[in-house]
Amino acid sequence: MDTRFNTLFIGKVLLEYDRLDSTNSQAERLLKERKLADGTAILAYDQFSGRGQMGNSWFSESYTNLTTSIILYPKIDFPKQQFYLNQAIALGVRDCIAYWLEDVWVKWPNDIYVGGKKIAGILIQNSIQRRQIGHSIVGVGINVNQGEFPEGIGQPTSVYLENGKNVLDIKVVLACLCSCIEKWYMKLKQGKYDEIESVYHQFLYMKGIPRKYQLASGDVFQGEIERVLPDGRLEMSTHNGLQTFMFKEISMI
Amino acid sequence: MEFKDIQELVKLINKSNLSEFIMQDGDFKLTVRTKNYIKGKMKAMEPQVVPVPQPQVVPVSHVPAPVPVQPQAAAPVPQAPKTSAKDAPVKSEETDDTANYLEVKSPIVGTFYRSPSPDKPVYAKVGDTVSKGDVVCIVEAMKLFNEIESEVSGKIVKVMTEDASPVEYDQVLFLVDPKG
Repeated sequence: MDTRFNTLFIGKVLLEYDRLDSTNSQAERLLKERKLADGTAILAYDQFSGRGQMGNSWFSESYTNLTTSIILYPKIDFPKQQFYLNQAIALGVRDCIAYWLEDVWVKWPNDIYVGGKKIAGILIQNSIQRRQIGHSIVGVGINVNQGEFPEGIGQPTSVYLENGKNVLDIKVVLACLCSCIEKWYMKLKQGKYDEIESVYHQFLYMKGIPRKYQLASGDVFQGEIERVLPDGRLEMSTHNGLQTFMFKEISMI
Repeated sequence: MEFKDIQELVKLINKSNLSEFIMQDGDFKLTVRTKNYIKGKMKAMEPQVVPVPQPQVVPVSHVPAPVPVQPQAAAPVPQAPKTSAKDAPVKSEETDDTANYLEVKSPIVGTFYRSPSPDKPVYAKVGDTVSKGDVVCIVEAMKLFNEIESEVSGKIVKVMTEDASPVEYDQVLFLVDPKG
């Protein structure tokens, strides 16, 4: 695989930056000034203030990992079909990592895990205009060449650590990512929701495996992931029967 | 009566020619005055108390003017003509004239956030002027961050929801005064 972008539109326009606070923030700033082409990718080699889940940060060592944001204009039925966007992007990122590694999973709703460790994160920001998605900023962070992780930030890993300590060219990974995301994004555009949903469940981390979960209240219970509902909620079988959860209402422990 | 029912009722009243609407259901009493309401003229008249057991059957949308239900109201209702109310709006009435406020509603079930992250300033606060297309908040659903752009222009008069709290579909998030 080389660094050429073998895609129809994703990554055809590439804005490279040596250093940025966050690629998502840069995308926001640029979109305020002008319209960006569908599929524009923003790449930062050193992202010093990466964003994660509300209030969380995404730490990425400089020049070792992939931090990018892709601008898309998905014309999907909002909010009914918005979770399919999440699924399609998650499958694209998963496929990209699966090009080098095995045992790659999507942890609900959209983290990417290798074995039991987090390797990539996704942060999607939609602008909602008149109850439709105007643009989507799809932020993706993949741990590529990082060899060590500070303690106390969960259990992350990198392609490097899982792939016999082979260093990869960030732009090669980006080219692969653009192509993999495009494949799934095209399915979304074509309305192949059943296929997206079915493959998402095929790679859903811990699906059908009984284990311990913790509620936001702190209560621990034994449960098993059944499926993810079309609106994105998690359906689990518990001793109280089937129960559904929103993101942050429940965590794996 | 649910908040939603009241919203619905206010909408119906707005569409009608009513100048004032009062309903009572047990201890619950609701008074709505529209821009047709003129202080002096209406004061002279006894407000009509219409007992309404079921809010959804109020036939407000079907009546062009208040239907007199008590004998003393059989005389023509001194209703302010719409045009004059528009031409000469009663300024002093505007402060409690919440029926004219526009709403920014949640297009989705999720979690309401007033700022892009906890350390950042809020998108919009009371007193701010927003224009159509300005981002006023985020509603997060399953890790999708939806930046909600205002569909209306005006001054924010009220933030209806607490930061970081769950919101329902169509829940009112902000009240906006279009004249602000």
